[in-house]
Amino acid sequence: MNQTIDTTTAGGSDPRPAGRAASEPRRWRLADYPSLLTVPAILLLIAAMAYPLLTIVLRSFSEPEWSLQNYVWFFSTPVNLTVLARTFSISAWVTIVCVIAAYPYAYLMTTVGPRMRLVLIMCVLVPFWVSGVVRTLAWVILLQDSGVINSTLKAIGFSSIRLIRTQTGVVIGMAQVLLPFMILPLYSVMRGIDLRLVQAARSLGARPALAFLQVYLPLSLPGVFAGAIIVFILSLGFYITPALLGGPRSTMLSTLVQSQVLSLLNWGRGGTMGVVLLVSTFVLLAVAAPLMRQRHKQASRS
Amino acid sequence: MGYRSTFAGIAGATTLAVIAAVAHAQEAPAAGTIVDGSLKGKTLTFVSYGGIYQDGQVAALKEFVDKSGVTLLNDGPTEIAKLQAQVESGNVTWDVVDTADLPPYVHCGKLFQKLDLTKIDVSHIPAGQVGECSVPAMNYGMVLMYKNDAYKDNPPKSWKDFFDTEKFPGIRAIDGSGDPIGALIEQGIIADGGSVENMTPADIDKGIAKIKALGPDTIFWKTGAESQQLAESGEADMVMMWTGRAMTAVKNGAAYTPVWQDWMVVMDQLTIPVGVKDTDAAYALINAYLGKQAQEILTEQTSYSPIHNEAQPKVDASVAAFLTNTPDRVKQGYQQNIKFWVANFDAASEKWTALMAGN
Amino acid sequence: MKPFRIILGLFCLLVAVWLIMPTLVVIPMSFNDKKSLAFPPSGFSWQWYANFFTNPEWSNSLLNSLKVASIVAVVATFIGTLAALGLSRMKHSGAGILRAILITPMVVPGVVLAIGIYAVYLNYQLVGTTFGFVLAHTMLAIPFVIIAVSASLEVFDVRLETAAASLGANRFTAFRTITLPLIAPGMLSGLLFAFVTSFDEIIVALFITSPYLKTLPVQIFTSITRDADPTVAAVGTIIFFATSLVIAAGLIIGSKSKRS
Repeated sequence: MNQTIDTTTAGGSDPRPAGRAASEPRRWRLADYPSLLTVPAILLLIAAMAYPLLTIVLRSFSEPEWSLQNYVWFFSTPVNLTVLARTFSISAWVTIVCVIAAYPYAYLMTTVGPRMRLVLIMCVLVPFWVSGVVRTLAWVILLQDSGVINSTLKAIGFSSIRLIRTQTGVVIGMAQVLLPFMILPLYSVMRGIDLRLVQAARSLGARPALAFLQVYLPLSLPGVFAGAIIVFILSLGFYITPALLGGPRSTMLSTLVQSQVLSLLNWGRGGTMGVVLLVSTFVLLAVAAPLMRQRHKQASRS
Repeated sequence: MGYRSTFAGIAGATTLAVIAAVAHAQEAPAAGTIVDGSLKGKTLTFVSYGGIYQDGQVAALKEFVDKSGVTLLNDGPTEIAKLQAQVESGNVTWDVVDTADLPPYVHCGKLFQKLDLTKIDVSHIPAGQVGECSVPAMNYGMVLMYKNDAYKDNPPKSWKDFFDTEKFPGIRAIDGSGDPIGALIEQGIIADGGSVENMTPADIDKGIAKIKALGPDTIFWKTGAESQQLAESGEADMVMMWTGRAMTAVKNGAAYTPVWQDWMVVMDQLTIPVGVKDTDAAYALINAYLGKQAQEILTEQTSYSPIHNEAQPKVDASVAAFLTNTPDRVKQGYQQNIKFWVANFDAASEKWTALMAGN
Repeated sequence: MKPFRIILGLFCLLVAVWLIMPTLVVIPMSFNDKKSLAFPPSGFSWQWYANFFTNPEWSNSLLNSLKVASIVAVVATFIGTLAALGLSRMKHSGAGILRAILITPMVVPGVVLAIGIYAVYLNYQLVGTTFGFVLAHTMLAIPFVIIAVSASLEVFDVRLETAAASLGANRFTAFRTITLPLIAPGMLSGLLFAFVTSFDEIIVALFITSPYLKTLPVQIFTSITRDADPTVAAVGTIIFFATSLVIAAGLIIGSKSKRS
């Protein structure tokens, strides 16, 4: 008896006698407008993302008074332009390093047996098993002059190299954090490539390198592209890693935003830098999105 | 055991005597006075910079916590923006804030309360250190530490040598933790052959240029922990360090030697933000902190020098080696031109930020 | 072909070492006998683990993080699943745009978001409140739930639900008995992603933290910038082994249920 009642309640029918008939049209309408289901998420995004970002945009124009002075200041101060350019160049380096490291790795993942593949996937996922901040500390331990890398170099007879507080160190640390974002999309694209196409090209007389360049590479490009865009965009906003691994010559825009707001109490200028970062991100996304779609179509056509 | 209870008895009797004296007089309670149970059920948040420093401050305040019954929360590191936000929003959760030496002068009356000197006893503080909005939290120094191996027979002897990259090659490490270091810029101007008597804002550029000329290998450490690590690992040949961190580094085995000529006098400041919920409780904390015993404990726990002129901390040789309040050290010290740096705070900050960002 | 495979293998070994080194180097550091991060550690001790569990600063931050992350995981999974269901049933072209909007928190630069949230929270006195943390972290976690649930919905045939409805089940029963079990794995991974997103979030947390509410990443960051404290390495090691246990358990249960 009890059980029957439980089932009907869990089944969602209204205990009130008139309930079913009354609620029928409402359900019908909800099914008609599935977009209503996204309303809670949209509201949350407005409260916790859109409104804060709008506040920052407004402050960049309004503090200390309504004008474009903060933007004029940003684009006429050499240090800002240097750091902006550096932010882009570090992001580009991180992306390049990620592509070079991830491409062979993802390829290997598609060609080995299931056991080995599990090991390779584990290696990609292990970095996520410790907290991100702890990982940056680990990079300090590895990269410092008396760190693991330099001790090893010295032990095998090489001279030590300066890694911590250099751009190289920042790129090494950032690329490690972002590598999974490159490997995973690449792997999912490569897994879908029919290797018989390459074999066919080879049986038609193409040398391995040529078969790779003309058949495999174009098919895998959508994965490269998707991964590269994600990595580049995430790099632009990096904050903790450059702050802890970098020196003055690897300061990125995020650090300047932080110091404007927290050290100098200058919300207007900090906001301006934030807006520049935000606009750069979305312009890149807008440019890349149609390109990615196009590549996808090409890949599926060929 | 017996010794301890006698000691406690004496301390208790002294306190009672002091309280009795205070009850009759209209002036400030003597530094170190704590009224039993006066702050039961209250909570104070004390904000400072962490490390052995804040640990020492907490130890110095232990008697205050035990006797007054207050619950003491600790937070840090001090960030003026967080404070500004708290003050502007009217929701101030930081009750007593330990700041660097300039902010209380820059934001006096806006972020920090003008201090009512009838509520605290400042009579034992070294001359000239009480500001309109601040009392010193301790005295210390920014000292030049050089690596023993690097300059065997001919070690650097002054900041002039620090700026001389030809005679003294090697990697320098500089305080890049935030606000511009006025004293270092002044030393740069002096090393450049200039004078700091009548500094103008244009001189800031000269000093900064001198720092830039130290070369691309110069390290700007962002935290005291980092500077300590730099010395312990031997990464830099000359490190500009806070004396507290320098002492710990040497204790941990760093083979470095301090240069005391023109060591930079620095003090941390104790402030009460505008809009704290219980101003009197904050004053009570500061007054307890300024006491002789509290200052002795502070110095015994950190290497920082006491700001109570009668304090006689019992410290071992390694700590004594880094105290800055001995007569000799006081003579060798270099005091930055606070007025100038407060007046030119914005310009100095902007130029310093550019230096930090590698431009 | 053979030398090519060897070079490829060696290269990938290097990449794998690069990936896992930072995780592994933390473990020996956590047993350091001195308060230092110099490598290799000079002696062995358990003191940093003891410190983590006995020092209230550390244990409270762990509890705060667990609390916030658990609430975020549940709320984000609920809201995100609703949104994913809605998106999957939308026919017109708006769905693509709406989906893009809903996953934007993933690409907005952390510091920009952080100063914005900080400014707003100061106005509404949300700095250092559990609600403030949950609100911000849920926003950051929703995209992961939407992606995870959407992936499981892609292979799901809506006609199954229609069929159930035509057999007399009401919509909710159809949803509960057909849709829910099919998207449950997606929801579960969404739940996990949401938990981890919150548990590991640092940038926004650094701005909205207060002495009364500090999350674990904030405590770790403060500790790194204050002292060379191996407790951080101990925390990293604990998280590493806890995660390994969860994953190992998942793998074992997975393989057992497959066999049976």
